[in-house]
Amino acid sequence: MSELDAALRRSAAEHAAHCPGCAALQESWQEARIALQALRETTRDAETPQRVEMRLLREFGMRHRTRKVRSAGIFAAWALATGAVLFAGVSWWNSRLTQTRGNVSAGHVVKPDLPAPSVTPADTSEEPYLIAGNDAGDFTLLPDSLPQEVDDSAIVRVGMQRGALSALGLPVNEERVSDWIQVDLLVGPDGLPKAVRLPQ
Amino acid sequence: MSIPEQDRDDVLLRRAAKGDQESFTLLYRRHQAALYRFALRMTGNSWAAEEVVQDVFMTLMREPKKYDATRGPVGAFLFGITRNRVMKHLERLPREMSLEEPNGHGARANEAAVNRFTPVHWAEQQERSERVRTAVSELPVEFREAVVLCELEELSYEEAAQLSGCPIGTIRSRLHRGRALLLAKLEILRDAPRRVSAAR
Repeated sequence: MSELDAALRRSAAEHAAHCPGCAALQESWQEARIALQALRETTRDAETPQRVEMRLLREFGMRHRTRKVRSAGIFAAWALATGAVLFAGVSWWNSRLTQTRGNVSAGHVVKPDLPAPSVTPADTSEEPYLIAGNDAGDFTLLPDSLPQEVDDSAIVRVGMQRGALSALGLPVNEERVSDWIQVDLLVGPDGLPKAVRLPQ
Repeated sequence: MSIPEQDRDDVLLRRAAKGDQESFTLLYRRHQAALYRFALRMTGNSWAAEEVVQDVFMTLMREPKKYDATRGPVGAFLFGITRNRVMKHLERLPREMSLEEPNGHGARANEAAVNRFTPVHWAEQQERSERVRTAVSELPVEFREAVVLCELEELSYEEAAQLSGCPIGTIRSRLHRGRALLLAKLEILRDAPRRVSAAR
C-alpha cells in the first residue's frame, strides 16, 4: 500500500468504510505493519559483535604478514640466484683471463707472418752451440724433420730450460742447461714441432 | 555530499587488497551492520548472522579481485555474497539444530537499556516482535527475502529487485504473497494461545 498515492489511499479508505471485509483486511494489514515495525525496531541497532572484527583483523594480519614473508623469501631467492650467476660469470671470466695470461707466459701462438720464416737445417756436427748462439731469428730444422710448406704451420713461443732442447735432438751447452729460455717452435699442421729458433 | 576519493569503497578495497589494515577495517565498519541485520532478519539467528558476516569479509579478504567495479558498488557486491551465504545457510538449516534460545537476537542484550518505554509497553512490544519474528522466519525463503528487504530493510521495490537479482514484478508478487502468508501466520500464532486456553 505504500506505493499508492494520496488519492488512491483516500479512495481505499472510503471504500473500506463501506465494506466490512476490506475494512477487516485493512485492519489486519495495519496490525501486520505495526508488528513488522516492532520487529524492525528491535533489530534496528543490531550490529556484528566486536569479536568478529577482531577475528577478521587477526586473520588479515596473518594473511598479509605471510604474504610479505613469502614475497621477501622469493626476493631473497631471486637475489641469491642472481648473485650466484654473477659469481659464476665473474669466476669464469677470471679463470679465462688467468688462462690467457698463462698462455701468454707459457707460450705465444701466432700465425707465421709472410714472408715465411726461412728454415736452416741443423748442422749439429759443425756447430755444437748453434742453438744457444742462434740469435738471428732463423728457424733451425729439427732432426728428422723435412723442409716443407709453412703456410699451415704455427709458431708457438714456450718457456723452457735450455737442457730440454736436447729432447728435441738439439745439442746443448752443458754448462747452461738449467737456464730458462724463450723458444719459438714451428709447429706443423700435424701438431709436431718442425723447427726451432731462439727469439731475439 | 560526495565521499572523498580516498574513502571510496573501491579505493579502500584496493588498498586493503595490498595489505592496508586500516582500509579493511573502515570497509568492514561501514558495511557490517547492514549485512548483519539482513542476515539476522533472514535467519532469525544471531550466531548464523555473525557467521555469515564473518564469512563474507573473509571472502573479501581472500579474493578481493572478485569485485568488478563495472558491475556495481562494493556494497551491492557484499550484499550479494551475504545473500548467497544466507541462502546456503537456509538450505542446510533442516539438517542443523540451533542451540540458541528462541529469543536470542543479536540486539537483545542492550535492548532494555535502549528502550525508553514503560516495562509493560516494552513487554508487549517484545511479545509482538517475537511473534512477527517467528512468523517471518517461517515464510518460504523467497517471500521472506521480499518481506525483509521491503518491510524491514525499507528498500524500494527497485532496490530489492536489484539486490535479489529478479524483476520488480517478481518482487511485488512475492511481497504480496509474503504479506498474505505473514498475516495468516500471525493470525494463527495470535489465536494459538486462545485455542490452547479454550481447550483447557
